[in-house]
Amino acid sequence: MGSMLGDWPSFDPHNFSQLRPTDPSNPSKMTPATYHPTHNRTLPPPDQVITTEAKNILLRNFYERAEEKLRPKRAASENLIPEHGCKQPRASTSC
Amino acid sequence: MSVWNYVVTAQKPTNVTHSCVGNFTSPQELNLIIAKCTRIEIHLLTPQGLQPMLDVPIYGRIATLELFRPHGEAQDFLFIATERYKFCVLQWDAETSELITRAMGDVSDRIGRPTDNGQIGIIDPDCRLIGLHLYDGLFKVIPFDNKGQLKEAFNIRLEELQVLDIKFLYGCSKPTIVVLYQDNKDARHVKTYEVALKDKDFVEGPWSQNNLDNGADLLIPVPPPLCGVLIIGEETIVYCSANAFKAIPIRPSITRAYGRVDADGSRYLLGDHAGLLHLLVITHEKEKVTGLKIELLGETAIASTISYLDNAVVYIGSSYGDSQLIKLNLQPDAKGSYVEVLESYVNLGPIVDFCVVDLERQGQGQVVTCSGAYKDGSLRIVRNGIGINEQASVELQGIKGMWSLRSSTDDPFDTFLVVSFISETRILAMNLEDELEESEIEGFCSQVQTLFCHYAVHNQLVQVTSSCVRLVSSTTREFRTEWNAPSGYSINVATANATQVLLATGGGHLVYLEIGDGVLTEVKHTQMEYEISCLDINPIGENPNYSQLAAVGMWTDISVRIFSLPDLNVITKEHLGGEIIPRSVLLCSFEGISYLLCALGDGHLLNFLLKLDTGELTDRKKVSLGTQPITLRTFSSKNVTHVFAASDRPTVIYSSNKKLLYSNVNLKEVSYMCPFNSAAFPDSLAIAKEGELTIGTIDDIQKLHIRTIPLGEHARRICHQEQSRTFAICSLKNQSSAEETETHFIRLLDDQSFEFISTYQLDPFEYGCSILSCSFSDDINVYYCVGTAYVLPEENEPTKGRILVFMVEEGKLQLITEKETKGAVYSLNAFNGKLLAAINQKIQLYKWMLRDDGSHELQSECGHHGHILALYVQTRGDFIVVGDLMKSISLLIYKHEEGAIEERARDYNANWMSAVEILDDDIYLGAENNFNLFTVRKNSEGATDEERGRLEVVGEYHLGEFVNRFRHGSLVMRLPDSDVGQIPTVIFGTVNGVIGVIASLRHEQYVFLEKLQSNLRKVIKGVGGLSHEQWRSFNNEKKTVDAKNFLDGDLIESFLDLSRSRMDEIAKAMGVSVEELCKRVEELTRLH
Repeated sequence: MGSMLGDWPSFDPHNFSQLRPTDPSNPSKMTPATYHPTHNRTLPPPDQVITTEAKNILLRNFYERAEEKLRPKRAASENLIPEHGCKQPRASTSC
Repeated sequence: MSVWNYVVTAQKPTNVTHSCVGNFTSPQELNLIIAKCTRIEIHLLTPQGLQPMLDVPIYGRIATLELFRPHGEAQDFLFIATERYKFCVLQWDAETSELITRAMGDVSDRIGRPTDNGQIGIIDPDCRLIGLHLYDGLFKVIPFDNKGQLKEAFNIRLEELQVLDIKFLYGCSKPTIVVLYQDNKDARHVKTYEVALKDKDFVEGPWSQNNLDNGADLLIPVPPPLCGVLIIGEETIVYCSANAFKAIPIRPSITRAYGRVDADGSRYLLGDHAGLLHLLVITHEKEKVTGLKIELLGETAIASTISYLDNAVVYIGSSYGDSQLIKLNLQPDAKGSYVEVLESYVNLGPIVDFCVVDLERQGQGQVVTCSGAYKDGSLRIVRNGIGINEQASVELQGIKGMWSLRSSTDDPFDTFLVVSFISETRILAMNLEDELEESEIEGFCSQVQTLFCHYAVHNQLVQVTSSCVRLVSSTTREFRTEWNAPSGYSINVATANATQVLLATGGGHLVYLEIGDGVLTEVKHTQMEYEISCLDINPIGENPNYSQLAAVGMWTDISVRIFSLPDLNVITKEHLGGEIIPRSVLLCSFEGISYLLCALGDGHLLNFLLKLDTGELTDRKKVSLGTQPITLRTFSSKNVTHVFAASDRPTVIYSSNKKLLYSNVNLKEVSYMCPFNSAAFPDSLAIAKEGELTIGTIDDIQKLHIRTIPLGEHARRICHQEQSRTFAICSLKNQSSAEETETHFIRLLDDQSFEFISTYQLDPFEYGCSILSCSFSDDINVYYCVGTAYVLPEENEPTKGRILVFMVEEGKLQLITEKETKGAVYSLNAFNGKLLAAINQKIQLYKWMLRDDGSHELQSECGHHGHILALYVQTRGDFIVVGDLMKSISLLIYKHEEGAIEERARDYNANWMSAVEILDDDIYLGAENNFNLFTVRKNSEGATDEERGRLEVVGEYHLGEFVNRFRHGSLVMRLPDSDVGQIPTVIFGTVNGVIGVIASLRHEQYVFLEKLQSNLRKVIKGVGGLSHEQWRSFNNEKKTVDAKNFLDGDLIESFLDLSRSRMDEIAKAMGVSVEELCKRVEELTRLH
């Protein structure tokens, strides 16, 4: 048991070094200041307002397959790998 | 009351739902961030403990809170997702101490079934994406680009429909999730998937594990070098990875929270449903897992979240009890526990029920809540304002002033209390037995009224009367010297400190004296154009014995002037406006900021910021404290200086976070106050009120006072009985034997000591559902009525219950009679001298009948069917308002002639109710389970039966809190002649421990405040870019509509926290002065 309990991680050995237990029957009510932002950086940068792509999963798959079918025809002469990939399960080409 | 309602929080949420630790405010600082449902709190770890930094309101209920470190950043960002499908990423700007929104968005889908097991939000440990599971069968991905910016989100179909938990695995070259799910045969499995970001799809992951513990509910991802995942069940804990599988059995328990201890993931703290804290250790050799070990450390509050902080100190956040800061000791204590509680933090949640009582009979309501759950259940007594706890009191009529004096300059304690009357001055002193007895200071004039007294340097005391200033030795009490007013002039007002005296005589003469060793020197004299009404030279500069400024209030031109000392030159003149003269001025300093307070004869108080070097007065504000003249005095409590404003509505003025706050004192009328810090009564106040002199200690200076009565069991209903001075509660206790059994009780408590004085144990499986104190027609006795239900495991709804009628006899609960019912008695109300019960789908009225043998019984009179479950009932006259499980609010009427109950009208919306209350004859208030409030109106003037039969929805508002109970009442003393005293209020209590107030406004006031609210929305921006308007919009599965006829008092009152320039901006838009606006908002803050 001792070995399991020892050696607690320490990031800054000073933290809590001066803390003394308080009376548990008198719980503390900490009241930090309430934050009311009035500055403009509370609004996100315009390109970081995120939405979900509108296409649903079925349509996305449908279009992707259609694109994949088209792609080898154009790319065949340049590079054979995409075509090869197309015949493989998607797992091997992902990422 | 009215349809125009103002909703404001008196007690903010205290239920801790999430917590996390990281370097948020600086790369070197370690922070604890905790979520309390609709707020986050940022704390700093320091040698002294947790230091609160900021309380941040979030316009949403927090579903996920995570800290993460994007690539190339020196400190952590905070990811927050809300239950209404908004998210934001926040960053701390240390330079300005502001929160910056890095990104935000809406992650809702137009269709989709919201998950049953709560929302899941996770961040890939390598920061490639954020994963969200919000709807069954869908996994939403928000990808990061290589610069750490978020990109458009997309959904991936997730085959598993009953997901229990999802986590990202560490150490995977492609982002990989592990999913814990239940199949359609109720078996539980885990499965892994790689997220193919380009293809926007899942790829079968490296491993899976079928047939886990049936109670497996929690996944803990293990960081490198070990990697893999821990699966926490109710009877086993399993470690699982692509190449290892280890399991250990555990004592049956439900793990509610975990906290990782070591960065390498070898130790974890687990908190279970009973509040037991375990340490789970992964043993390993050469980065290979060899086994698991688990050890019991001890007991804490039932944890909802655990965060290991630093140096063996751990934060335990709780939803069911007070949150705690604990230390893990190396050696067990006498009870074998390794856990030491260092600090605990108040949590009122969940407030299941409460009542409003005036225990001290002072005309001020106190709220007594049923708080907490299971072993952490308690009663909490919540009171607004500051209490004076009387230590001694003596009858004394006609007090005109009071001062305390020390017997030597460096004595830490006061010895004398000088009490002045119209034609004499009496001296009280502490004797050797620590009793206050009449004494004498020979050098003082005792046959005249004293205008002012103070201790002075060189062991002297100074007394000012209408004719002279006397200097007396405090050790020998003998006269040393005096200064006489010029003949023909009498001193009207005077003030002094340890080295200076300032006085004013008739004719506007202002005289400044300095005190030496046995010498009084007239340093300066000046004549003003008008009479002087009040003055002050309280030292607030560097020298505690000498003031460089004097404040003087004037008759006639109604001004206050600042003079420099010792030359007595006017440096500032401020006209107060109006016709009411200043009656008391005070120079004071709070939290390093200097103020001038100026009290008027009509109970108003003006405050100004004071520049010490120039005497300049700025930022004028006005509040109304009472209606009578105010006398201002400083006093100290726990080494902090506060101001006591004695008047018909005594108030303590103090400063918190550099803002002046006004807190009521629980006394009716105080004419004078002076601090009296004696050895026997340290830190006490002497108070003159209503022909009485009282010595009392003062509570901690804060707005709400909460006293905790731990019960060790879960109180669910509470009721107060004035006549027997008792509370009765319905409670339940869990026996932690082999089978988890619970026993239900009715307990009687003394309303002063809060001790259990009598107990009635209910039958096995019988739950207490409702409790009421009432009396019946033709019977003078007062009874407690309890409604119960037999909750049998095989029944969907209870089919049997009881109504028990008790009487309190000699402090004991005596069962008088009982009546069996055909279902659960969800509600009981006193109704026309009878008893109205809500039993399953029925409302039933019982008469109190006298039997031949002289005993009483409940006899069924009539009833009304047609509800799904009638859960909440309120009555007014012959009207009955029913809150249904799922059919909103309906209005019934009892017809005396027919002896029947009929439906009069109903709201046809499908609201699942959690509480109802009657605001007035026509308007009813409801709370429902999507955290909304609404009001409906009876339409008596409708043209057709159909119209009259419809309750019209007139107000809608998203509170964001689950309300369990409304009660009429007020947290503050109601004074008939104050504006606030006229505003009727309802108090509510919620699951998150919020106590709130709903105040009904006049239409004109509502319109004004609505305009203020819309102006404030433009200035105070939602943290994370979240919109206030959207947050307060009424929202359930069926509709989302803008809030109407409810105002957000929390936003409106935050006006007072704004900088002066922002206040000016809003005042300009409103077309009123800042002073007027402050005054109106300040008045509203005094509702709670």
